[in-house]
Amino acid sequence: MVNIVNIDTSFLSNSLCVVAALLAVVMLTARSAITSALSFLGVLLATGGIYGLLSEHFVATIQLVVYAGAIMVLFVFSIMLLNIDTQKNDIQLKSKTFILGTISALLSFGVVGFALKKYFKTNQTIAGQYTDEKIQALGGNTKALALELFSSHHVLFEVVSLALIISLVAAVVLAKRKFD
Amino acid sequence: MDTFFNIQLLAAFLFFIGLLTVFLRRNIIIVLMGIELMLNAVNLSLVAFSRQHSLLSGQLGVFFVITIAAAESGVGLSILINFYRSFGSARTNSAQELKG
Repeated sequence: MVNIVNIDTSFLSNSLCVVAALLAVVMLTARSAITSALSFLGVLLATGGIYGLLSEHFVATIQLVVYAGAIMVLFVFSIMLLNIDTQKNDIQLKSKTFILGTISALLSFGVVGFALKKYFKTNQTIAGQYTDEKIQALGGNTKALALELFSSHHVLFEVVSLALIISLVAAVVLAKRKFD
Repeated sequence: MDTFFNIQLLAAFLFFIGLLTVFLRRNIIIVLMGIELMLNAVNLSLVAFSRQHSLLSGQLGVFFVITIAAAESGVGLSILINFYRSFGSARTNSAQELKG
């Protein structure tokens, strides 16, 4: 991790992790939809901060502009448009779905956490091609990413643009049509 | 290495919170938010792993995932508008017409 200013980046990163986890729990348990949306926005901002601390500046910017900007505006706008009145909590504490879902999610999280712990204990990190020095020599994170994207992944880039056009047409058709 | 471990743990936690949101909530907007939270968790994991191993392929994957997520939320919300128009509510239990 590159430490440009004299700040303890691992402390900052860990506190952003805690904030994101707490806000995610708030999103799961909040009563009204707008509270959920705003805490989800907080999770996205904290994740963008973690990207920035890992010195992935391009991904952090995309996270802020596309996720915390565009997608959250869509969510908040449709909450406003539909005017959903959910002032009661809709989680049914005694249902079978609640008990089985929570137990299975906790068990899966335990398994993943155990596997991660084992991986990080025995891990011998194999350094790849893009070390900090090489990224600096190429002219920064964004430039290195652009060189990689437009050389070896350019077909994928075109396919994604096609997918965007298709989804644009689909959204317009779906929003205009009236189903009986 | 400790920071990367914490980030991976956070990514797993966020993924399962998103999964629980999809399981437990009845409001369709919040269910969509749970799907987005899972996508976001996977992005976090990809970026941290490729940063740890000095690669760039994770960031490229995240670039495409974010693009598709934006398209998906646009289509999903227009489906939601249609759902609300035809059923008059945004609850998952109101879509029971095919129930036998």
